[in-house]
This record gives sequence, C-alpha cells and structure tokens, in this order.
Amino acid sequence: MKKFLAIIMSIATTIIAQSAIPTGTELVEKMSEIMTQENSTAIMTQTITTSSGKQRTFEFEMFTSGEGEKTLMRYLKPSAARGQAFLMLNNADDIWTYFPRTKRVRKLSSSSKNQKVQGSDFSFEDMGSGDSWKTEYNSTNLGSEKYDGTDCWKLESIGIPEENPSYSKMGVYMRKADFYPIKINYFDENDFIEKTLLMSDIKEIEGVPTAMKMTMKNHLEGTETTMQTLFTTYSWQPPENFFTERELKK
Amino acid sequence: MSKKISLFLLPILIFGQSNFFGYYEGEFDQLKFANQTYNYGYNKLRLDFEAHPDDMVTIGANINIQKYNDNISWNLLDFLPSDIWQPIFQPEGYHEEMWITEFPIALLDTMYLDNIYLKAGFEHFDLTVGKQQISLGTGYAWNPIDIFNSKQLLDPTYEQTGVNAVRAEFPIKGRTSLDVILSPGKDWTESAKMLQLKTGLGRFDMHGTIGQYTWNRMVFDPHQFLLITQKDERTLFGGAIVGEIVGAGIWLEGAWNQMENQDDFAEVVIGTDYTFENGLYIIMEYLRNENGISSKENLDINHYLQYFMGETHSLMQDYLFGFLSYPINDFIQFGLLGFGNLNDNSAALNPQISWNMFQDVDLTMMYSHFIGDDNTEFGVQDWGWRIRLRGYF
Repeated sequence: MKKFLAIIMSIATTIIAQSAIPTGTELVEKMSEIMTQENSTAIMTQTITTSSGKQRTFEFEMFTSGEGEKTLMRYLKPSAARGQAFLMLNNADDIWTYFPRTKRVRKLSSSSKNQKVQGSDFSFEDMGSGDSWKTEYNSTNLGSEKYDGTDCWKLESIGIPEENPSYSKMGVYMRKADFYPIKINYFDENDFIEKTLLMSDIKEIEGVPTAMKMTMKNHLEGTETTMQTLFTTYSWQPPENFFTERELKK
Repeated sequence: MSKKISLFLLPILIFGQSNFFGYYEGEFDQLKFANQTYNYGYNKLRLDFEAHPDDMVTIGANINIQKYNDNISWNLLDFLPSDIWQPIFQPEGYHEEMWITEFPIALLDTMYLDNIYLKAGFEHFDLTVGKQQISLGTGYAWNPIDIFNSKQLLDPTYEQTGVNAVRAEFPIKGRTSLDVILSPGKDWTESAKMLQLKTGLGRFDMHGTIGQYTWNRMVFDPHQFLLITQKDERTLFGGAIVGEIVGAGIWLEGAWNQMENQDDFAEVVIGTDYTFENGLYIIMEYLRNENGISSKENLDINHYLQYFMGETHSLMQDYLFGFLSYPINDFIQFGLLGFGNLNDNSAALNPQISWNMFQDVDLTMMYSHFIGDDNTEFGVQDWGWRIRLRGYF
C-alpha cells in the first residue's frame, strides 16, 4: 500500500510539475536559448516602407557570435550602401562603423544605439543586443493568451533603469509549443506602443526555429521594415579575431 | 582557333569575377564674392572596379572623369583679402599700368586613375600595394596626424585622393594592431614613413603614431612671380583617444611636429558628439594648430597658398566646428554646419538638406553664409549655394 501511495504521489508530483506555469525569468531563458544561438551567419534583405508607401530595399550579410554578444553587419546592396559595415560588441554597447568611400572607421557613442540602422525601423540595439533581455529587464509571465490562433505565453518585461534599457517595457507573445516569440510590442516611457515586431514564416533551420520574415512596425512614424532571411546557418564557426576592425574593413 | 577563343575568353573570365560600380555626380554652385556673382559646376563620373582573383586578394581601382562648366577660369586674388595681395601685385610707387589685377587659375577637365591597388590578406597581416586612399585619425573635420590629406571645410566626409603607398596592417590581438605605411618619394628621406599602434581599453580606443617625411610647401617668389617649393623634414609624434562619457562620444587627437628648419609645432583636435532620442545628432570640434597664424595682421600670401594647396590643415590657429543633423523623415535630412575662425572672428554657416530621392539617388542642397570683415578668412566671401545630385550604380 505504501508502495502504491508512493507511486501515486510521484505521478501527481510529475503532473503538477509539468503543468506548472513557468515564471517570466524561465520564459526569457527558454526564449534566449532558441533566439540566441552561439554562432550564426545570414544573408537578409531589409525593405523599408514609409508612411507614404515609398520603399527602399537593402541586402546585407550578418555574422553573430557569443549568443549575439558580437555582431558584424555588412551591406551588399544597393550601390549607395555597398560595403558599409557595422561592428557591434558587448551587446551593441560598442559600435564601430566603416565607410568604404572614405576607408574610415568611426566609433559611435552609445547614445546612437537606439538610432535607426540605415533608416530602418530596427535600431542598432535591436540588431546586436544579444541576451540583454536577461540583464536589462525584469520579466513576468502574464499567463496564457491566443494570438493569431496560436496558444501563447504572454510575457511582460520591464526595463531596469540602472541598466539603461532601450525600451521601458516589452510585451511578448511566445508560442507555448517551442517558446518562440511571434509578436513583440515595444513601449515608450508613456506606456505607448512605439513599435511592434512580428515574426512569421517560422522554419526549422538545423533544428532551430527561425523566423524567415520579421516585420517591425513603427506606430509613431507610420513606417515599417521587413527583414527577409535569404540564407542562414548556425553551424558557422568564426575564425579567430573575426570580430575586429580588420574584418570590418574587408 | 581554340587559342583565339581562349584569348577572347580570358578577359571575360577575369571580369566575370569582377564588380564595376561607382557614381555620377553633378554639381551646380553660385558664389558671391568680390562684388561679383559666379556660376560654377561640374559633371563627374567615378567608375570603380574591384576583382577578387582569390578569397584573400582584392584588386581595386577607380577612374574619375570630371568635366567643368560655366565659370572655369578664376582669379585667385578674389579669394584673398586685398591687404594680403595688394602689397605684392600692386606695390606702392609703381604706376597703375604696372599693377597686376589677376592671378588666373583654370579648372581643367580631368580624367585620372585615382586609386589602383592590390590588397593581399596573409595569415598574420594584410598588405596593400599601390595608389590607395589612406584616411588617418579620429577627428571629423581635422586630423592632425594625417600627413597625407587635408579635408574640405564644408564637406569633411568627401572621399580623399589616392596616395602611392605600401601599407601593412598587422592584427596583434583583439583590438590591438600595428599599421606600417611607406609612401615612396624620390629617395628614402623624401619618402613618407609612418607607424601606428592601435589598441582598445574598455570603452576607449587609442593609438600612438610616429611619422617622418619631407614636407613640400609652396612659396610665392615675388621677384620672379613664380611659385617655388620649399622642403622641410618633418617628424610627427601623434596619438588619439576616442571613447565616451555618459553616452556622449569624446575624442582627442594630437601631434607634436618636430621640424628641421622651422619652429616645431603642436596640433590638437578635441571633439564630442551626441545622438538624442528623436534622432537629432550634434557634433562639435575645436582645433588648435600652432602651425597656423595667430593674428590676421601676420598673414601673408604664402600662408593662403599653403592652405589652399592642402599643405596645412588650417590657415590660422584656433577654430570651432559644429554640425547638427535631424531626420525630417526617412528620406530627408536637415543639417546645419558651421565653422568659426576664433582668431579673426569670421565664420561660415551652412544649412543643408539631403534628400534620398530614389533608391541610390541623393540630392543635396546647401546655402553658405559667410560672416566677418572683408579681410578675414571667411568674410572675404559673401554667400554661396550649391545643388549636388549623386546617383550610384
């Protein structure tokens, strides 16, 4: 009888554990595991659409390492931006930019990390912030909610002022099935939704769910930027001293 | 037959791995000075070529073709305060018929190979050989350590002309690297030699530079009415530090120049920049150049000539530069650029609009207003405006 009770207790404990609601911190950990792979490289297009409907399209290659702590971006198209490159280290706290026309490397101050990259709705921090989510925000799981027909966890991340976060708050819908975020709202200090990031066309690349299309909508300016992944791999290994000025100038 | 086919195929195979790109630039300017208004303009084609015969090898070149229009003949004396040139060209005691009223400069249509180089990447260093653009220093408007170039005041980010050089860049570890540049002259003494050690510490980048070369400076010989070249050995000990404090970028770049024949001098730039949440960007720099002249009363025609020829970074000693830009929308940028000569109290103010009209097509419009007495660096001109259209391909 004691043995039977022990089995029942064990099963009950397992069921309770499995159905336990993950905390905000756990959700951020799970999300970071998927979103920030150790290394990656990709070729992407970036289409900026203004409020009047005019479009500009860019193509760039991007290399990341250290779970997004280091990022190197180099524009391939159009001709006006060709060769322009950005090196972001320490989760985009340190940014260097290279101008091929003048062969000059310039260090940008951290006040520019919230600024638009090539006029897009993505900021330097959006592109190269790595796992700053874990260190610059306190996160809370607000429970279950359906988004676009998908069962999601709703996560709220409040910026820690001392860490100087880019956004005062972020609201995330992440798929319960694999903890992959499909919608992120970025709030300003007045609790107004400044930007919304939508992740779609999610495919398994080398076993990692990957959004092949990301659209950032800027609600303040009425613009949007769509990034389409043309190619990506997580098996890329950066050569030694890759994330340096030498590579930036190539 | 097959040999002929191979010969025909060879350039196709080479160019098959090559890229051609560049831009068309058309500019129209109107300037008012010396009580006259002048129109001036040009059409420029820059054609770049880049090939990668190997993953680690780049061959790059560009040809610039520039055709001037409207006013192509200028009088240099119009750009100089009258008290600088009148004692030489219209000396007292000479009859008016003997006076010289013009020193003509013609803008000739040009076609030249601006850069042509080969860059090879080895395991422990990169080697670039040939005519190449060399941009040194961290300053925006001025670079005291840059012995190869002098920036345009109203357009400090315009590309620089290529320099014949051999350059080896050795990455040492992380952000530390060694840069060795040799620009050959007619002998070892006249060749420019430069060593630069770069490193990073926390949020700061820094470098130490040592250079040595023969400085050629233009001097006007008033007896023969000829321009002659004076040579002087220059040894430069320089350095720079760039980083940030509470989100604002700060930098300091300086050089101590040891001269063989003239007085040694120091040149220092200190600058800061900041980007506000709304996209407003502000940058300011102060230049102290002891090679410049401290008082306008001590200026002579040679100081102006050397400055116009790009042989010195500034005419006088103390300058303030400021630039702000603000994105009106995703494609239109407003800018306001200003220069102040703190020694003769003259200034240039330059509001400008940049419009990305189409993908790869930019239009820039700027107005220049010059402030100061007629015998000052900027006050000698009245106003000007410029339209520049650039289309990349």
